[in-house]
Amino acid sequence: MPGKPELERLYDEHAQALFAFLLNLTRNEADTRDLLQEIFVKIVRDQKLLSGIREERAFLIRLAHNAAVDLIRRRGTRERVKENLAEIISPFASADDPDEQVFRDELAAALAELPEEQRTVAQLKLWGGLTFEEIAAALEIPPNTAASRYRYALDKMRGRLRPLYEEMKKAE
Amino acid sequence: MNDEIEQFERRLQAQPVKKIPAGWRTEILTAAMSQASSAGSRVQELPWHSIVVARLSSIFWPHPKAWAGLAAVWVCILLLNFSNHERPHFIAEKTSSAPPPEMVAELKQQRLMFAELIGATEPRVAGRQKNYSPKPQSKRMEIFTV
Repeated sequence: MPGKPELERLYDEHAQALFAFLLNLTRNEADTRDLLQEIFVKIVRDQKLLSGIREERAFLIRLAHNAAVDLIRRRGTRERVKENLAEIISPFASADDPDEQVFRDELAAALAELPEEQRTVAQLKLWGGLTFEEIAAALEIPPNTAASRYRYALDKMRGRLRPLYEEMKKAE
Repeated sequence: MNDEIEQFERRLQAQPVKKIPAGWRTEILTAAMSQASSAGSRVQELPWHSIVVARLSSIFWPHPKAWAGLAAVWVCILLLNFSNHERPHFIAEKTSSAPPPEMVAELKQQRLMFAELIGATEPRVAGRQKNYSPKPQSKRMEIFTV
């Protein structure tokens, strides 16, 4: 079992990235918190879990992804329908500028419309700062698949946000 | 085109994601440490059969109805299997006991009647097979023999 200082280091280095990743997947802060806690409990319980792991971030993202997929499956179709009807929880910070806020809301909606596998890759590439190789390692997919999922996601978001984006560019 | 995509990408990357609530750090770390230590001590205290039961229930818990159904199917298969095993004994017992003398006499009478109908007192022996005698294969041999 890793000691408290080691656990604190892991939290300080990776919790923010895991939070953003999980919030983007679950769209629910309470679920995100539960999953984050589940990951840290797992780390504490299994002392060999992180031994020999070179890419801690990718490994923790993989743990988070598996836990989130399990949760989404457990929730079932009924919950998913409810979730679709509910207001979209934005994974972005709120902006002072109203135009910027509109863009962020639209971006959150565009992200929510993406299939889960594309959304995951887009989030890790754009806001997680991971390379395609790291994403591939984290999600256990080939790097080419990660790259193609990212391109599809980017095309879809661009298609949806184009009018707003071009209007904002003109205003600038 | 590529430049436009890169610009769009940069624009997206510039959007700041929500910050993790500050209070979560203490909550999560404390909960993780306490849960793990309580689980560890519980595992040490429990007798081996409780650990086995706990492990089994963790396996069977996700789909109890499916496992129950599977168990019921297996019970049916075993019951069918046992009932099929019993039948040959019964048949063997039946066949091993000698038939009653009335039945033997009746059968003899029937056999005699059948023989009379056919027209012979002895059952016919199957027709004999012809003996194979090889014939000459070439015309030259025919000429010789003629």
